Amino acid sequence: MFSRTTADQLAGVANAQAVKGRSLWQDAFRRFIRNRAALISLVLLGFVLVFAFFGQYLSPHEPDFVDFSLRRDIKNLGAPSIENAHFFGLEQEGRDLYTRVVQGTRISILVGVIGSLVAVVVGTLYGAFAGYMGGRIDSVMMRIVDILIAIPFMFVIILLLVVFGRSMVMLFVGVGLISWLDMARIARGQTLTIKNKEFVEAAVATGVKPFTVILRHIVPNLAGIVIVYATLLIPQLIITESFISFLGLGIQEPMTSLGALISAGASQLGFGTPWMIGFPLFFFLITLYAFFFVGDGLRDALDPKDR
Amino acid sequence: MLSFIARRFAVAIPTILILIVVSFVLMFAAPGGPFNAERPLPPQVLANIEAKYGLDQPYWKQIFDYVWNVVVHFDFGPSFKYKDRSVNDIIAQGFPVTLTYGFWSFVVAVIVGVTLGVVAAIRHNTWLDYLAVGISIGAQSLPNFVMAPMLVIVFTLWLGWLPGGGWNGGQLQYLVLPVIALSTSYMASIARITRSSMLEVLNSGFIRTARAKGLSDGRIILRHALKPAMLPVLSYLGPAFVLMVTGSVIVDSYFSTGGIGVYFVNAAFNRDYSVMMGITILMGALTILFNLIVDLLYAWIDPKIRY
Repeated sequence: MFSRTTADQLAGVANAQAVKGRSLWQDAFRRFIRNRAALISLVLLGFVLVFAFFGQYLSPHEPDFVDFSLRRDIKNLGAPSIENAHFFGLEQEGRDLYTRVVQGTRISILVGVIGSLVAVVVGTLYGAFAGYMGGRIDSVMMRIVDILIAIPFMFVIILLLVVFGRSMVMLFVGVGLISWLDMARIARGQTLTIKNKEFVEAAVATGVKPFTVILRHIVPNLAGIVIVYATLLIPQLIITESFISFLGLGIQEPMTSLGALISAGASQLGFGTPWMIGFPLFFFLITLYAFFFVGDGLRDALDPKDR
Repeated sequence: MLSFIARRFAVAIPTILILIVVSFVLMFAAPGGPFNAERPLPPQVLANIEAKYGLDQPYWKQIFDYVWNVVVHFDFGPSFKYKDRSVNDIIAQGFPVTLTYGFWSFVVAVIVGVTLGVVAAIRHNTWLDYLAVGISIGAQSLPNFVMAPMLVIVFTLWLGWLPGGGWNGGQLQYLVLPVIALSTSYMASIARITRSSMLEVLNSGFIRTARAKGLSDGRIILRHALKPAMLPVLSYLGPAFVLMVTGSVIVDSYFSTGGIGVYFVNAAFNRDYSVMMGITILMGALTILFNLIVDLLYAWIDPKIRY
């Protein structure tokens, strides 16, 4: 028998513990904040994003405007300068490099992020469904992934781009096609461990339909690993897109991407205009570094194994 | 073991067939064929050309003939663009070059990557470790299309030590830059994987036993730790080797080595579908073959794996 005060005290202790308890996400957040490299990268990433989406307002020039007055002698007149507001100089056709780099960074990041989103949506649902269903459905679905993963996708993307014409949409389709495969495998593996937990059993016992179980109970528990993988996927997709654009098969004029700009700069190497490759390369590298380090930091923060 | 090999083949063979059929269907979906010149050909001439290449046959027969020729005779058919050469000729000319520096890049990446990873693991949390990790993260964000121009800037334009392109029968000085450009990012990945798996092995029980027996550090690492630590690396190496050969598209076109990548890119610009398909299928078959080899090696090295 408890007296009234002990019961109150017990309730008080319980409340105190409830206040002190920390969720997985709070823990992860604290670990992430303490990781200096990841935090610096996050700030750097913020700067890159601001540059890519608002950088054009700093410059009076348009990315597709050819400055004929400077074009005749780009090596001497087209160098980076503050006075004529060509901050990064001119590129080989006489257009303003600063606004081109802003545009290129924006498009590269968009390709990476959209490809990664496709991976998150398609890959997670596919993997979670296969893992939850198990049995024959699972093995057929995963064999399909095995087969698709064995296809050399760099070549298939180029084939797609050539056959259906080079366009942004086709590039997104091609990148989206590869990006979800690994995600599906990861999501399936996690689902296999989650689906035997009590809360899933409880949901099934109360008569929740399989699809709702997947969406309401499995997928939210995949969030950690999915976020980590999606962040690490973005730089890989940026590399893929730049690779294709470097060959001249990706983003087409008048649009541009970092890969196309690096390619253009590399072709001008022998003509004494190092800024043409320097600036795109710089933004390419810091974008990749930032994404890789943030992804690494997130993995350290969210991966329960590494505690 | 036998049933495992059989199961692997059961996945591999349909994969290759699907790859062949998909690339063939893509070719048919293409708007505009290789003979749609700017000045339209007289219908009679066009009909004759199409008859020569078998394009007047019904689709199902064309697909069947193509698959039959590829699988049974290893014959990828004639090139649509070069009248006097078949796809086989082009592959025979370009592939040995690609394979040569692909192989050397692989050797360099494995030796440097594994050494870096092992050293970092042995000297865990010292400046050597941080240096190795720094190098490998840095190198990972340097894909070959970034490395190639940077190497040319330094070694050709600046120092003037090495030629910036060409092949010349694969002489050493022509080989160096392509190999470095191709191997850097793979070296970085190998180093990271080696380091983390070596750290895990060094903390395991049987290494403590070896230490307790009084074995020397060198012997522990070479005889006891290296083999189990290599397992995760090995599973990365199979796809990496194929990726090096495929990734060489950039190196081929940037260093003008005359490898298969140049033909692929040129074919992509010329809509020379038969060449593109031939190379895609070749690379796909290689990917599948190497994955198979790695799986078998894995089973041979790791006695814990049972099939």
